[in-house]
Formats: sequence, structure tokens, C-alpha cells
Amino acid sequence: MARHHLSAQPDQAQVDAYLSALAGWLHGPRRRRARILAELKDGLTHAIDGHVSHGRSQPEATSAAIAEFGAPQVVAQAFAGELTAAHARKTIAAYVATGPLVGIWWLLLLRPYPWHGGLIALLAAIPVIPMIAIIMAMAVGTLATTGSLMRWLPETHPRRALTLTMTIAALALAADVTVVALYIRSDIPMQTLAAVACTASLIRIVGGALTLRRTTTMRRWLDQTTSSSPREDRDARR
Amino acid sequence: MLPMRPELLKGHLDTLLLAVLEDGPQHGYAVIETLRAGSSGALDLPTGTVYPALHRLERAGLIASDWETVGGRRRRAYRLTTSGQAALDDQRAVWEQFSAAVTAILGRRAWPATT
Repeated sequence: MARHHLSAQPDQAQVDAYLSALAGWLHGPRRRRARILAELKDGLTHAIDGHVSHGRSQPEATSAAIAEFGAPQVVAQAFAGELTAAHARKTIAAYVATGPLVGIWWLLLLRPYPWHGGLIALLAAIPVIPMIAIIMAMAVGTLATTGSLMRWLPETHPRRALTLTMTIAALALAADVTVVALYIRSDIPMQTLAAVACTASLIRIVGGALTLRRTTTMRRWLDQTTSSSPREDRDARR
Repeated sequence: MLPMRPELLKGHLDTLLLAVLEDGPQHGYAVIETLRAGSSGALDLPTGTVYPALHRLERAGLIASDWETVGGRRRRAYRLTTSGQAALDDQRAVWEQFSAAVTAILGRRAWPATT
């Protein structure tokens, strides 16, 4: 028993080292990366069991299973598209969810008075409304064509989904900066409503800047993976 | 039998994965093994091809997955959804027509094939 334990330790270390190296190459949402690593760990264990059942020793079985799975960098690159799509969907969903939470305060603060001024008066008071409509249309479209609706609609490629994510983040950032600037230039007193609206926009401006940075990193990673040929995956297994 | 290159399966991989899951839920590595065993080794697909394709099918709503514990080991099992079954039925019909047409050309037989 003790002998088995001693012989099993280096194998587990080998699996852990492989998964650790793979984790180092993965980018994207943390939960999605954790899921990939957990799935591959289970798959590796299954593959090792299979090799052991065919008469190989634990170390041999572990090495064979790892070779079968492929080099960590190559496996990580294979997941680039899915991780990119997951990042884009998560980011865009956050904008869709927080949009009304930020927008409602600005609508209440900047709306024309009296309220019956019509659409022209509303657009004059809050000129970012068309920009917000464009953001929402892009967001809904991207979510639809990278999710379950891609069965019927043309699928948005992960690279394009990233471009749309960056565009949405940039437009939202510009809209937030614009409404804050509008408020600063107005003579509306700093009351609770104004404080809440400004705080909400400032939080989203910081979040938008971080999003743009993360998305740029994802874009760079995705660009790097395109230089690898699919054959590398097969070759890495040999 | 010679193993096929993954790029040769482009356009058919999704259907193959749906077909593997038609008989019941399976985890990722079991899907790889089923493809390998069911094709006498011709479809020996790498991890980097099968797992991301499963994730994409799940994103499209054609399959769903859940964590389950088997023998103390936690694994993610994939299963076909109703939409996935419908897509598989459609793709199967398309494939039968396509393969009959290609076989007619390559094998110089009459098309549509009669059985």
C-alpha cells in the first residue's frame, strides 16, 4: 500500500504540473477556465486508467495520457475561440444588465421639463440616447449570434465578437463621459439623484477601461493562436 | 485503419458529436473513446478538437452538461437537448444525401443511390 502510494505521488505531480502549465496558457473568464481544467483533469485520469488497464505502469500510463492530450500550449490554443466567445458574452451581458441601472438615474436627472416635450426635447436633453440604442442593438445581436440563436442566424466568429465587445465598451464609456460632462456644464444642483447617477457612471467608466484592457489581451492571444496550424495539435501528441 | 486528420472532418464534427451523445450522456473523454472505437480507430480525434467543439455545441444549445460524481470522481456529462436531437435528425438526412452523391461520383455509381 505504501509502495503504491509512493509510486502514485510522482504521477499526480506530473498531472498537476501539466494542468498548471495549461492554466498558465489559458485566458478568459475564471470560472470557464476552472471548468476546462476540471474537465481535462477528469479526462486525463480516465485516460491514465485506460492505459493502466492495458498493462502499463502508472508512470508510463501518465506519460502516455499526457502525450495523448497534447502540449499545454496547443491545448490552450484550441480553447481560445470558446474562451474568447465566453469573455465577449459575459462582458456584453454585464453591459446589458447594468445599462438600465445606470441609465435610469440620468433619465430622471436630465429629462426635459415639462416631460411632455416629446422625443426631440428628450434627445436634446440627453443626446447619448441614439448611442445607447446602437449599443443595445449591437449587444443583443452579438449575444444572439454567439448563443443559442446561432442555430438559425449566422454565427459571429469569436474574433468579431471581441471587436463588437470593444466597440460596445468604448461607446458605453463615451456615453458615460458625455452625460457626466453634460451634468458638470449644467446648473443642476448636486443632490442625491445627481450623486447616484455620477457614481454609477464613474464606476462604469473604470469598469469600461478595465474591460477594454482585458479584451485587448484576449484579442492578442487569439491572434497568436491563428499562427498555429491544426496539424500542430496532432503532432504534439506524438 | 489510418487515422483521419481533424481538418478533414470540418463541417461534420458537430454531427458526429451529436450522434455519439444520442445513446445517452457521456463525459468528454468518453466521447473521444466512443468516436475512436466506433470508427475502428479512424476517428482518433485530439482533445483540443473534441472538448472545444463540445463547449461550442453547448453554447448553441444543442447539448447541455451537468457535473456528476461517479465513483467519487467529479466529471462533466454532456447530453443531447431536444434541439440537438432535431439538428442531428436534419444533419443525418443531409449526410445521407451528400454521401450518396459523393459515392456516386467517386465510385461511379448511379445517383440517387438505390438500396
